[in-house]
Amino acid sequence: MKGNLGEKLQSLPKPILYLILILATSIPLFFPTEVPNEPVESTKDFYATLMALPEGSKVLLMSDWTGSTRGESKGAFRSIFKILIRRKAKVAIYSAADPQAPRVAQDAINELNMERKRKNLPTFDRWNDWVNIGYFPNAEAAINGIANDLKGAFGGRKDFPPNSPPRDVFQSPVLQGVTKVEDFPLMLVITASKTSNFAVERVSGRTPLAFAVTGVMVPETQVFYQSKQIVGYCGGLKGVYDLEQLMESGVNFPDKATGKIKSDKLGTIEGFPDPDNKGQGTRYYPTLHYALALMIIMIILGNVGMFLAKRGDKS
Amino acid sequence: MIPLLQAQAPATSFWSEAFNSSELWTKLIITLVVGLVVMVGLLYAPIRARKPIIAFFTFISGAYWVLLYLWPKPIDRQPGEMPLNTVETVSFWLADSNNVVVSFTQILTGFLLGLGIFSLLKIHLTKITKGHKDAFFSIVLLVSMGLMIWFGYADWFDRLGERGAMLDNRDNWGFTQYGRDFLFEGLLQQMDAAMFSVIAFYILSAAYRAFRVRSVEATILLSAALLVLLSLMGAVSFVWDENVKSIANGNPFILNFQLTEVAQWIRNTFQTSSIRGIQFGVGLGALAMGLRLWLSLEKPGSGS
Repeated sequence: MKGNLGEKLQSLPKPILYLILILATSIPLFFPTEVPNEPVESTKDFYATLMALPEGSKVLLMSDWTGSTRGESKGAFRSIFKILIRRKAKVAIYSAADPQAPRVAQDAINELNMERKRKNLPTFDRWNDWVNIGYFPNAEAAINGIANDLKGAFGGRKDFPPNSPPRDVFQSPVLQGVTKVEDFPLMLVITASKTSNFAVERVSGRTPLAFAVTGVMVPETQVFYQSKQIVGYCGGLKGVYDLEQLMESGVNFPDKATGKIKSDKLGTIEGFPDPDNKGQGTRYYPTLHYALALMIIMIILGNVGMFLAKRGDKS
Repeated sequence: MIPLLQAQAPATSFWSEAFNSSELWTKLIITLVVGLVVMVGLLYAPIRARKPIIAFFTFISGAYWVLLYLWPKPIDRQPGEMPLNTVETVSFWLADSNNVVVSFTQILTGFLLGLGIFSLLKIHLTKITKGHKDAFFSIVLLVSMGLMIWFGYADWFDRLGERGAMLDNRDNWGFTQYGRDFLFEGLLQQMDAAMFSVIAFYILSAAYRAFRVRSVEATILLSAALLVLLSLMGAVSFVWDENVKSIANGNPFILNFQLTEVAQWIRNTFQTSSIRGIQFGVGLGALAMGLRLWLSLEKPGSGS
C-alpha cells in the first residue's frame, strides 16, 4: 500500500475489510448481550393488532420467506406464532413467492412444536390449529382469487388430518365457516419479496393487513403503514427484537407510569414474560449493531482519507 | 353462462372426481395429451398463421382482466340470483369465471417451473455429453436436482398415507424423511442463507469505497443515511434519546431532536414521498408496457 495516509485510508484491502466484518458479526454471537432498545411505532401497532385478536380467531397467513432471509424472517415467524398460539388462533398458511416456502414454514412450526413438547406445553397441531394450503405459483393471481372467491381459490387444496389421508382444507377446523377473505379478522404477510404489494392491492380495506418484512423492504412498507393501508408491520431484525421485547414487557403494562415500553397512542397491552420470548432477535441484534457500527466507521474512515489526500495534493 | 365458468358448481365440474381416483388420472392424462397436441400443432403451424393466433389469445386473456377491473361489480349478490340486464349478466359472468381464470393462470405459471427444469437439463446434458471443461459442475447440479426430486416425492408419497400427519414429528421419521431433511434443511437452506449473507461483504466494501462527500447532494444523502443507520442501533438511539429527554425537560421542541424522532421524520417526510413518486413512475411504465403486450405491439408478440 503506497501513498500518503489519506490514500492508505481510502484503499484498505478487501480481505482485511472482510476479515473485520466476519469478526464483528460472529464474535457477538458467542457473548449474548441485551441491547437497550425502544420499539418503533409500527412494531407496537403490529403487536397490538395480534394481541387484540379474540381467542380462537382465524388468521390468514401468507408465508413467503425461505432460508435466504431466515436471519430476519424466521425470527419474525417464530415470534408471531408464539403470540398466535397464546391467542389460541387458528392459522391458514399459503405461499406464493417461492416453491420452498410452504415446506420452510412447515419445518419452522414443527421446530416450535418440538420445543413446546420438550417443555410439556401443548403443541400447535396441524389440521386442528393450522393448515398448510400450499404453494400458488402466481402470487398476483392467487391473491386476486382469494379476494374475489376464497372458496374457489383454496378449493381442492388438501392437508393432513391426524391419522388420516389428506382431506380438503375446508374440512379442517381452521377453515370451518370461512367463505370469504373478510371472515379472517386479520391477514398476515411474512415476506421477503414483493408479494406484500399484491396483498395491499387486492385485500386492503377488506380485512386488516399486517406485515413482517425484511430490513430492505422497510422503506416501501412504511408507505403502506403511513397511509394506513396496513395496521402495523415488523421490519427487519430490529422489528423482530422489538417484537420479542414487546412480548416480554407489553405496552404501558402494567400501567403507563411503570411500564417499560410506553405509547401515547395505544392503551395497556399486556406482555407475557417468559425466557422463551428471547429468540432470534435478541441473539442476532448485537451482531447487527456491530455490523452497522463497522459500516459507519468505514464510511467515515474513507471520507477522512479523501480529505487528507485532497489536503496533501493541495500542499 | 358457460358451464365451465360457473365457479359455484363444483359438484358437477370436470375436476370433481375423487382424489387419486382412476377417473381423475384418466381425465388429467387426456387433458395433457390434448394440450400437447395443441402445442405441437402450434409449433408446426406456419409462422404467419401462428402470430395472429397468439395475438388473439393474448388480447382475449388481457381483455378479461381489463373488463373485470372496469366493469361494474355485482353488489350484494345472493346465491342463485338471476341477472336483470346485460350489464349484470356480464358482471355475474366475470365474477363467476374469475376463479377458473385464476386457476388457469396458476397452471400456466406452474409450467414455468417445468420449462426451467427442461432448460437446465438441455444446457447441462449438452455440456456433459460434449465433455465441456465444467462438465463436473453440471453433473453435480443434475445429481443434486435428481436427488432432491426423488427424496421430495418419496416423502410426499409417504405422507399421503394414514401416517401422513405423524411424519411432522421427527420421532416417526424414516430414511426418506432424514434424506429429505438433510438435502432441504441441511444443504439447500444453509447454502441459500450463505449466498444471501455474501451481500453483506459487498455492501460494506461498496459503502467504504463509494460513499464519499464529494458534493452538497452527497453530503445530504450521507448525513440522512448515517442518522437512519444510527437509529437502527438500539443502544445508540436509546442513549441519545435519553440525553435529549433529560436536556429537554419536557420542552416539546427539543424533544424533536431525539434520534428516533429525526429518523422517523426522514422516513415519513422524504423517504415515503420519494418511494411513492418512484412507484407512480413504475406504475405508469408498467401500464405502458402492459398495453404494448396486450395489443401485441411488442416484438415477441407481433414478430415484427
